Amino acid sequence: MAVVMDAAMDKAWLVQRLQEALAALEAGDETGWRVQIDALAAARTQPMMAGLSRLARELGQALGELPTVTTDAGELDDACARLDHVVTMTEQATHRTLDLTEECRALTARLGEEALPLLEQQQALERIRHNLTEIALTQSYQDLTGQIIRRVVGIVRRVHEGFGALGLPPELQAQRQQGRHEPALAGPAVHGVDRHAVSQHDADDLLSDLGL
Amino acid sequence: MRILIVDDFSTMRRIVKNLLGDLGFTNTAEAEDGHAALAMLQSQSFDFVVTDWNMPVMTGIELLKAIRADARLKTLPVLMVTAEAKREQIIEAAQAGVNGYIIKPFTALTLQEKLGKIFERLAASA
Repeated sequence: MAVVMDAAMDKAWLVQRLQEALAALEAGDETGWRVQIDALAAARTQPMMAGLSRLARELGQALGELPTVTTDAGELDDACARLDHVVTMTEQATHRTLDLTEECRALTARLGEEALPLLEQQQALERIRHNLTEIALTQSYQDLTGQIIRRVVGIVRRVHEGFGALGLPPELQAQRQQGRHEPALAGPAVHGVDRHAVSQHDADDLLSDLGL
Repeated sequence: MRILIVDDFSTMRRIVKNLLGDLGFTNTAEAEDGHAALAMLQSQSFDFVVTDWNMPVMTGIELLKAIRADARLKTLPVLMVTAEAKREQIIEAAQAGVNGYIIKPFTALTLQEKLGKIFERLAASA
C-alpha cells in the first residue's frame, strides 16, 4: 500500500471517508461507520509505522555488520581477564626483583665486613652475579605483558569502531561513558595523552607559591 | 622516627620501605589503605606518614583530612606520593594540609630532597 500520498488525493480521500462515515452514522449503520473510522485511523498511523520499521531494518543491518552484543560483552570480559593477568604478572616480577636486590644488598654489606675469609668473599660475589642474571631474566615479563596489552588495545579499538558504526558521535559516547561511571581519579599521566598533568618541577613551584 | 607507609600496592610499599631504609629510616610499618592506616595511627605511635592518593576503601586525601581533623594526630607530617598530577589535586592536597607532594614515578633523590625539606621546615617552626 502506498505510504506517501499525493496531498490533493489525500484530501479527497479524507473527505470521502468522512462523508461516508457521517452518512453511515446518520443511517444508523454502525458497521459502516466503524469501517470508515478505522480506515482513517490506519491512514494516520501508517507513516509512523513505516518509519519505525525502516529504523528497525537499518538498525538490524548495522548490528549485522558488527559483532553481536554478546560477542562484544565477551570480548570485554576477555580484555578484563587479560589485564588482571598483567597486574598479577607485573606484581610477581617486581616482588621477585625486590627479593633478589635485597639479598644483593645484604651480600654487599657482608663484603664490606673486615676480615671476611676469601672463600666467603668469592661465594658472596658469585651469589651477587647469579642474582643479577636472575634480575635480568625476571624482566622478560615485559615481553609477555606487552603482547597482552597490545591485544587488549585491539579489542578496545574494535569495540570503539563498533560504536562508531552505530553512528554515535565520539563526544556522545564519551558523555555516555562519563555518565555511567563516577568521574574517577586520573591516575598515572601518560605523556602525549594527558594534557592536564604537571611535572614534579611544576608541582614544586605550585607548592612553593602556596607556601609549602 | 617511626614512619607509616600507606599504599594499596605491596610492591610500592616495599620500594618506599627500601628507599627509606637507605636514608636511615628503618623503623617503618605498612597499611594498604587510608582506613587501615587511620586505625594504626590511632592505636600506635608514628612520627611521619608517607601515603598514596588513589586507594580503595579510603583514599590518601581522605586520610590526610582525617589526620588534620583528629586532635591527637593533626600535627603529624604527611608526605603524599602519588601518580595524581593535576594542578587542582596538588592545590587540594596543599589546602588539606599536606607537607610534601611527590609525583610517581619518582627517584630516590626526590624522596630524599622532600623529606629533607619537610624536616627543615618542621625544625624551623618548632
